Amino acid sequence: MTVVPARSSEWVRPVTSQEPASAIIEIDRVSQVFQTSARKDHLALSEISLTIEEGAFVSILGPSGCGKSTLLYIVGGFVRPTSGTATIKGHAIAGPGPDRGPVFQEFALFPWKTVLGNVMYGPRQQGVHAAEAEAQSRALIEMVGLKGYENFYPKELSGGMKQRVALARTLAYHPEVLLMDEPFGALDAHTRTRLQNDLLNIWERDRKTVLFVTHSVDEAVFLSDKVVMMSKSPGRIRQVIDIDLPRPRRRNELLLDPRYQKYVVDIERMFDESDEAGSVS
Amino acid sequence: MMAQAALIRRAAPVLACIGLLAVWQLAALALKNDSFPTAIEAIRAVPDILGDKESLINILASLRRMAIGFGVAVLVSIPLGLLMGRSRGVAAFFNPLLMVIYPVPKAALMPIIMLWLGVGDITKTLVIFLGVSLPVIYHSFEGAKAVEEKMLWSGAAMGLLPAQRLVRIVLPAALPEILTGCRTGLVLALITMITSEMIARQSGAGNILFNALDMGQYDTVFAMIIIVGAMGICLDAIFEKVRARLVRWSEPQFDMPLSFS
Ligand SMILES: Nc1ncnc2c1ncn2[C@@H]1O[C@H](COP(=O)(O)OP(=O)(O)OP(=O)(O)O)[C@@H](O)[C@H]1O
Ligand SMILES: [Mg+2]
Repeated sequence: MTVVPARSSEWVRPVTSQEPASAIIEIDRVSQVFQTSARKDHLALSEISLTIEEGAFVSILGPSGCGKSTLLYIVGGFVRPTSGTATIKGHAIAGPGPDRGPVFQEFALFPWKTVLGNVMYGPRQQGVHAAEAEAQSRALIEMVGLKGYENFYPKELSGGMKQRVALARTLAYHPEVLLMDEPFGALDAHTRTRLQNDLLNIWERDRKTVLFVTHSVDEAVFLSDKVVMMSKSPGRIRQVIDIDLPRPRRRNELLLDPRYQKYVVDIERMFDESDEAGSVS
Repeated sequence: MMAQAALIRRAAPVLACIGLLAVWQLAALALKNDSFPTAIEAIRAVPDILGDKESLINILASLRRMAIGFGVAVLVSIPLGLLMGRSRGVAAFFNPLLMVIYPVPKAALMPIIMLWLGVGDITKTLVIFLGVSLPVIYHSFEGAKAVEEKMLWSGAAMGLLPAQRLVRIVLPAALPEILTGCRTGLVLALITMITSEMIARQSGAGNILFNALDMGQYDTVFAMIIIVGAMGICLDAIFEKVRARLVRWSEPQFDMPLSFS
C-alpha cells in the first residue's frame, strides 16, 4: 500500500477546517464472496471502493441484504475480504482493534455483566482505573437515558435499552472510528431523535469518524456528511452523495430546510427507481 | 397465591421422599421377604452405621476420592472442552478419542486399571475422573461452540487477545452449559464411586454395602442405599444453590405454564 504524501498527516496537519481532511479509511475494490450452505458462491460485495475522511460522518444506505453489515465487518477487521484491501491510516486492516469501535445490529452485550459492567468492560480492558472507569461509565449510561438501570442484566432490558447499552459500551473506550450497524433501529421515535442528537453532539465535540449503517433516509441525511447508497445482488455502491448542510444541525430547523427536504426526496426517488429497475431485470 | 406456590415448591421434594418411603414400607410388608426389609427397619439401621467409627472412616474415604476425582476432572475438562469448542483443530484431534471412551462403562475399565495401578485410591479416583470428564467436556464443548460470534468480536475490538477471550468471554458465556455438564458429572461421580468400590473392595461406602450384602445383613444394605441416596440429594442441592448463584443472569425470566387454568 503506497501512501500518497499529500494525504499523510505527518506534515500536513489539519489545523483548521479549511484544509483538506485526510483519508482515515480507504476501501479499495473490496469484494466478498460467501460460501452458502448450498455450496454455492454468493457475491455479497462487489468491487467496493470508498474513501472515508478523518472526522467524517458517513452513512451507508441500502436495501436489506445488500452487504452493509459485511462492509462494516471488513472495516472492523472481523472479516477478511475475499479480494481487495481496506486500510486505516495507511495500514492494511489485519484484525480488530480498539481504534475501531463496533456497535452491532445484534447488540452482542455480555449477558453475565450488568449494564454498568458491560459499559466499564472496555475502559477496564484499556487499563483505566476502576473508579474512573465507573464514573465515566455512569455518565455514559445517564447520557443514553438508562440511569437507574446500572445493575440490570441484559436479559432484563428491552430491545431498545439493549441497543443503548451497546452504544454506551462502545463509546466508553473512545474508539477513533465508530462502526455503527443500525444502532437506532430498535428505538421508538422519541428516543431515536434524542440519541441522534446526542450522537451528533458527541461527534461535533470529538470529531470521531463515524461509519453509520441505517435504513432510514431521514436519519442518514440528518446526520451525515456523506451518504453512500448501495444496491443489492451483488452489493455495489450506487452513488455517493455529499450532504452539504450547515452544522451544527438542529433537527427542528433542518426539517423545515428545503435543502434537507430535497436531499431526502432525491435519495428516496433514486431508491424507488432502482426498485423498478430491479423488478424489470 | 405466590406464597402458596412457593410453599408447594418447597414441600414437594419432602412429600416425594415420604411417598417413596411409604410405598417401600407397604411393598416390604406385603412381600414379607427376608432380603427386603421395611423402610422403617432400614432407617433404624442408619444411625448404627453413622455412629460406627469404622464405617464413618469408610464413607469419608469415599467422599474424599469422589471430591478429588470430580475436582480434577472439572479442572481438566472445562479448558479442554472450551478449546475444542473454539478450535476446529483441537476438536478434530480429541473428538475421536472421546468417542472411543464415551460408550465404555467406566467401571468396565476397572479390572484393567487395577492391574496397572493396584486396588488403591489412585485406581478408584481415576475411574471417577473418567466418569466425570466426559459429560463436562461435552457440555463445555457445546457451550463454547454456541458463543455468539459478535460477543467475541466485541471483545477483540476492546483489545482482548485470543487467550483472554477464551477465559473472559467464552468461559462466562458458556458457564450455564458447563454447569449442566458438571451436574451430570456429579451424579456420575457418585455412581462411579460406588461401583469402583464394588469391584475393588477395600474401603469406602460401596465396601460397606457389598460386604453387608455378602453377609446377608439386609438392613445395613438398605440403610447404605438410603445414605448414598441422601448424599446424592444433598450434593445436588448444594450444587444447584451454587449454580443458581453463578448463572443468575441466564435464568429464564418467565415461567411458561403448560396451561393457564
Ligand atoms: N456468513 C455468511 N455466510 C453466507 N452468506 C452471508 C453471510 N453473511 C452474510 N451473508 C450474505 O451476504 C449478504 C449481505 O449480508 P449483510 O448482513 O451484510 O446485509 P445487510 O445489508 O447488513 O442487511 P440488513 O440491512 O438486513 O442488515 C446477504 O445476502 C447474506 O445472505
Ligand atoms: Mg445488517
